[in-house]
Amino acid sequence: MARPEPVVEAPLLELRRISVVGRDRPRLDQLDLQIVPGERVALLGSSGAGKSTLLAVANGSLRPDAGQLLWQGQPPASSGRQRRRQLARIGTLWQDLRLIEELSVQQNLNAARLAHWGWPKALLNLLLPLETEACAAALRELELDPALLPQPVSALSGGQRQRLAIARLLRQQPSLLLADEPLASLDPRLASQLLALLLRQAQAPRALLLSLHRPDLLEGFDRVIGLRQGRLLFDCAAAAVDGARLRALYGSEAEHP
Amino acid sequence: MRPAPPLLVLLPALMLVPLLLALPGLLHGGGWELIVEFAAAALTPSLDPLVLRSLLSGLAVTVAMALLGWGTSLFAGLLLGLASSRTLWRTLLGHEFPAQLIRRLLALPRAIHELLWGLLLLQVLGLQPAVAVLAIAIPYGALVARVVSDLLDALPTANLEALRAGGAPAPAALLTALGPPLLPGVLSYGGYRLECALRSATLLGVFGLGGLGTELKLTLQSLEFHELWSGLWLLAVMVLLESVVGLLRRRWAMPRRLALHQPGVGRRGREMVLALAALLPLMALVGQASGVDLQALTRWQPLPGLGSDHWQEVLDLPWLQLVGGTLLLTALAAGLAVGLAPLQLLLTAPWPWARRLVGFSWMLARLWPPPLTLLLLLFVFRPSLFTAALALGLHNLGILGRLLREGLQDQDPSAQQALLAAGSGPRLALLYGGMSGVARSYLAYGAYRSDVMLRETVVVGLAGAVGLGSQMLESLSSFAWDQLAALVLVYALLTLAGEDLSDRLRRRLLATA
Repeated sequence: MARPEPVVEAPLLELRRISVVGRDRPRLDQLDLQIVPGERVALLGSSGAGKSTLLAVANGSLRPDAGQLLWQGQPPASSGRQRRRQLARIGTLWQDLRLIEELSVQQNLNAARLAHWGWPKALLNLLLPLETEACAAALRELELDPALLPQPVSALSGGQRQRLAIARLLRQQPSLLLADEPLASLDPRLASQLLALLLRQAQAPRALLLSLHRPDLLEGFDRVIGLRQGRLLFDCAAAAVDGARLRALYGSEAEHP
Repeated sequence: MRPAPPLLVLLPALMLVPLLLALPGLLHGGGWELIVEFAAAALTPSLDPLVLRSLLSGLAVTVAMALLGWGTSLFAGLLLGLASSRTLWRTLLGHEFPAQLIRRLLALPRAIHELLWGLLLLQVLGLQPAVAVLAIAIPYGALVARVVSDLLDALPTANLEALRAGGAPAPAALLTALGPPLLPGVLSYGGYRLECALRSATLLGVFGLGGLGTELKLTLQSLEFHELWSGLWLLAVMVLLESVVGLLRRRWAMPRRLALHQPGVGRRGREMVLALAALLPLMALVGQASGVDLQALTRWQPLPGLGSDHWQEVLDLPWLQLVGGTLLLTALAAGLAVGLAPLQLLLTAPWPWARRLVGFSWMLARLWPPPLTLLLLLFVFRPSLFTAALALGLHNLGILGRLLREGLQDQDPSAQQALLAAGSGPRLALLYGGMSGVARSYLAYGAYRSDVMLRETVVVGLAGAVGLGSQMLESLSSFAWDQLAALVLVYALLTLAGEDLSDRLRRRLLATA
């Protein structure tokens, strides 16, 4: 698929010598990373390599112990409206999806707009779900039936929930998509479908950072980052990932992942 | 158009509107200097050893009454609960009807508030420590019995049937199959009842049955605020008790109260049984020390007969107004208690210090007996139904608020964190991500608590003409026994209807969860 040239502007995400301390060794150790619009980056590493920690730092839910974090060239605001605006531009697809079981599909989709909504709209949405057309469009994008909108989330199947979580992510209209092992619990067919969906959404000016623990799904990514024991092991084009790099990444840890 | 769970949580707060509209009109203008004086005394309680000694001995009496009443109710409730269990009768005799009969009979003692029992027993037995103990034990025993039998009958009977089919005799099969799963539920409820018993014992004291409550009332009425605060801070030992009960609940892995639909799991069963067995000698010791005389319970004072010539006066009571007032009082207090707690949590969501302050105010509200709050409110407000509702509602707010906070703490915070990470403000994240999960069980508990508030309307009866409760206190003090009997009967019917309604509401809320 042809991709427009990345616009030269501040990286969507920039980590400068970021460290997060852990119990016996650093969870992240002086990590440097830049992601520019249009990039589709896979994050590889075995369990405990620091992939989730890196994503948590990137979406602002974990404050690093050292180093500097920049979102579109700006340091995170400490609180208030400015920080919420920054956070709204970063969308996270959680491994456990984190849908709100008790609310309807439409209310869940609209929950992604809370950063922009005031109390009146937020309350009204709990009585008469709002912005039906936009929500239906988000579902259609993920090949879900808009008839699901009034259904409670708890009534959906596993595959539908995955798609709904992505639809909610899109509804947030973020510029950076983060995904924490979204394919871990899926069967191979569903996993490749879902990956294709995510890759399709991640076009400039958007970017995608997605963590994986299996190296067999790298097709479609531009760049691969290898993380081992909180350190950057390699950061290269997807085509440059070879057996030697993977052995170094998983090597001695292969027996006890 | 069905309101979503988080919105349902906010709906009871609509009852705050009439309350807020009415209260400014009820200010009588004076009294503010007293309130200021009262508030200022909080930091300078009296440390006079004489005062402290009398307060401490009052506290000892209150704790003893609570412990004895609670212990008695626990054992009596267990026995009566077993006796009113359908599963038990079916297994032993093959019929369920004795269970139904005992259940019906237990409805009456349950429907009458412990304060009313206390005041009635006071007339019959005279002032003695056993009165307060009995006043707590009777309604509590009937309540425990109901919970025990409900728990028992809700347990799956597959194990039991398997044991019976294997030839085990009925009593052994019952004990083996139902004992272990029943115990954690009963003890968890029992621990909660102990907290209630302490509140009740304090309350009974406010109405003259001795102990710390009596001291508090006397110091308040004589405007000795510094001494009053010494007593109020002493009440804080109840927080200690709350944390001990909480500790045991965690240690024995007992179900939390807001997790109404989760079966109890339970750990360290032997420890639980031992703790229960150790209660009996402890009760005997405490009873001995506080001079509870069981024989005195057999000496009844003669009651004036229920004269038949006063029935017209009974009929002439403004029944409609009394019942309506009681219901309105309950609705206002319930709306305040159920509705304000989530509102306070939402408002203070961005500021941890403000949340702690709210938690502290809830603790004070739980500890202070509602009639004392009412007396304080009467410094600035005229006596009225709204004033009474405020006192009753604030007390229950303290109880519901703590439950809501516990429920929120217990649930998985990930949905809320996801919203925060997507840029939602802390308040809306709490509303969508936090309240959604706890809404149904919180409202179910609110329904149960509203039923308790209906029973409790009698304790704020001091506020003048505010329904059946105040009329009862009036009839009691004028020895109008026939009036009282009729009032108690109507009140009991009302609370039973309320209980039924709250049960239905609770089941509906939890069924769709």
